[in-house]
Amino acid sequence: MSLLLCRQENVRHPYYMENLGIHLYSSQELSYVIFNYPLLVMEDFVDDNLLNFLREELNQGFLALKIERFLKNNGSTDEVLAMILSEGDYHSSAEIGRFRQLLTNFRNRHPADYGKAKADELFSMRQYGKAAAIYTKLTEYPKDSFVSDLFIGRIWNNLGACYARMFRTGQAMEAFEKAWLRTGQKSTLEMMVILSRLDTAQKLSDQVKALVDEETESACQKRIDAAGEAAAKHKKMVELEALFEKDSRKRRAGEEALIGAWRQDYRRIR
Amino acid sequence: MDGLLVGIDLCDTYTQVCGPEEENIWTFPTVICRGKNTDEWYIGENAYAQVLRGDGILVDKLVSLTGKDGTATLGNTKYEAAELMKRFLSMALEIPVQSGTVREINAVVIAVRRLETRLIRVLTDCLRSLGFEDSQFRIISHAEGFVYDTLSQKKEIWNGTVGMFDLSDEGLRYYELKIQRGPKKSFVIAEYEEMEDRFDLDLLETPQKAKVGDTILCACAERMMRKKLYSAIFLCGKGFESQEWAQEFMKLLSVSRRVFREPAIFARGALLRASELISARAAFPFICICEGHLKTTISMNVLHKGQETLVTLASAGDNWYGRSAVIDVIPDKQDSVDFMVTPLDIRKKKTITIPLEGFPRKKDRTLKVRICVGFLDDRTMAVEMKDLGFGELFPSSGAQIRQEVML
Repeated sequence: MSLLLCRQENVRHPYYMENLGIHLYSSQELSYVIFNYPLLVMEDFVDDNLLNFLREELNQGFLALKIERFLKNNGSTDEVLAMILSEGDYHSSAEIGRFRQLLTNFRNRHPADYGKAKADELFSMRQYGKAAAIYTKLTEYPKDSFVSDLFIGRIWNNLGACYARMFRTGQAMEAFEKAWLRTGQKSTLEMMVILSRLDTAQKLSDQVKALVDEETESACQKRIDAAGEAAAKHKKMVELEALFEKDSRKRRAGEEALIGAWRQDYRRIR
Repeated sequence: MDGLLVGIDLCDTYTQVCGPEEENIWTFPTVICRGKNTDEWYIGENAYAQVLRGDGILVDKLVSLTGKDGTATLGNTKYEAAELMKRFLSMALEIPVQSGTVREINAVVIAVRRLETRLIRVLTDCLRSLGFEDSQFRIISHAEGFVYDTLSQKKEIWNGTVGMFDLSDEGLRYYELKIQRGPKKSFVIAEYEEMEDRFDLDLLETPQKAKVGDTILCACAERMMRKKLYSAIFLCGKGFESQEWAQEFMKLLSVSRRVFREPAIFARGALLRASELISARAAFPFICICEGHLKTTISMNVLHKGQETLVTLASAGDNWYGRSAVIDVIPDKQDSVDFMVTPLDIRKKKTITIPLEGFPRKKDRTLKVRICVGFLDDRTMAVEMKDLGFGELFPSSGAQIRQEVML
């Protein structure tokens, strides 16, 4: 139990963390992101932008200089991340030790597995466009002892989920079908059925149609109904309904704000 | 720094202006008068003279009026107390300026009998609007004036306990000053007590009444000074302009003690404080604990660079008025904030815990709390805690706590 003392940082130009689609305003937030999303910072994160942010906004010029020199001498990015955490004064040395170990474990993974983990992380952060780009590359990965048909099938499945969440239903259907052909998983089959119900333009192939029995149909319908009910009760839906009850002037202002927020949200997930 | 230094003792009944030399002291009633048919203003004896001539309308008890944010109607015009006080101060400050060749005032310190937030605020506003920068003025208590004046004298005067009786139209007060030396810091502590047996100076008009006054003073002195050793006793205020009436009291005080009559101790103390204001050095090597200054140190235990560290938010001896501290912390498995309150007697140290009620219970270390500390008087701390959120990752809930804490 303790209170961490925060240094006064008057950040005027926050650091934009592209992989998360958010701005960082303090050294604590920077440390938090590095520690909690290692897969998103292990590649291409330490760059001039970050060093400028450290130097100009966080008043950590000495650390920026140390990193620059370290990288010039072929120092590893992982070590740079640990240096930033140490200077951030947000994590204990034991936590930083565990973080180092975690990075080593990631580095020791098969490149395809590492790529999938990174894409999964992006997916969990609703960065579907970025995740889809990595999954797409992984689908072309040559087969080896690790990259099996099943692995590629899972990648197609996740790619389908990304497209579906970006409302690119055609591409999603195509990806799910490729996934199903490799894995034969029932959950993928259900996803295709649901997709075809939500977007009637998407037709199931004859091969898939033949496999959809009554039980699957009913399970899919239940899922759609449950999702519909949950959506109707969702806080955002309630807010939207309340907005439509307002007078036209207030409603217009609310609509503009809401559409602006949706646009921003969609741009972020693409 | 070639400007004047001015010390003012501002009371309800009288005002003393001291400066630029300590010997230059002007005493006059704290009254202001406006011409009946003109917009001319007078203060002090001139104001009374104007009223006696039938040409002016007078306002007295200006300090009380100011402390109450009151108003006064002169002729057909209603004036805010603050405006009258500003006029009064402006004219009072002209007195030392007119007496010399230097036209500019470098620093001014006003000593008042009781430091109250509202009075300090109005006086501060008055001085600001008269063109003084914040660094050029202070409002201090009589107790602080007593400290500055006493410590400016020879060491043998203050190396033991110093007592002082202040008898004026405002009442009877007993002050006591002590030096407390410690291994790291030394303190000068000045306290006062309002005598219950306060009496009107009208008591001194006839010998019989004066005798009663003498008896009252003796009773007070015996009660306050019993079994104590003093290095000096001061007498100040209009009541001691002559001590003829208080023969028994004087006899009692003079037993193996040095007794001094000081006519303008608070105004002189204020002048000395003004001189410290423009000097880079402290007037004396002690931390001053008296009315207007905090009697306790407020600190917090925080984690900094992996080490438990004590952060001081305010120190004993700091002026409570205008003293504030802001600190941002991130609770780590902790849902309250602890303040350590350490008085001079370290054995009486205590911890005040304020729970972070209403603050969201987020993932650990993702709540940044801004803690702002200020003081309403020397015994009341105002704490404000605000959820700052944790950037865009965990936006602020807007939760806020405001609490007053007795120290």
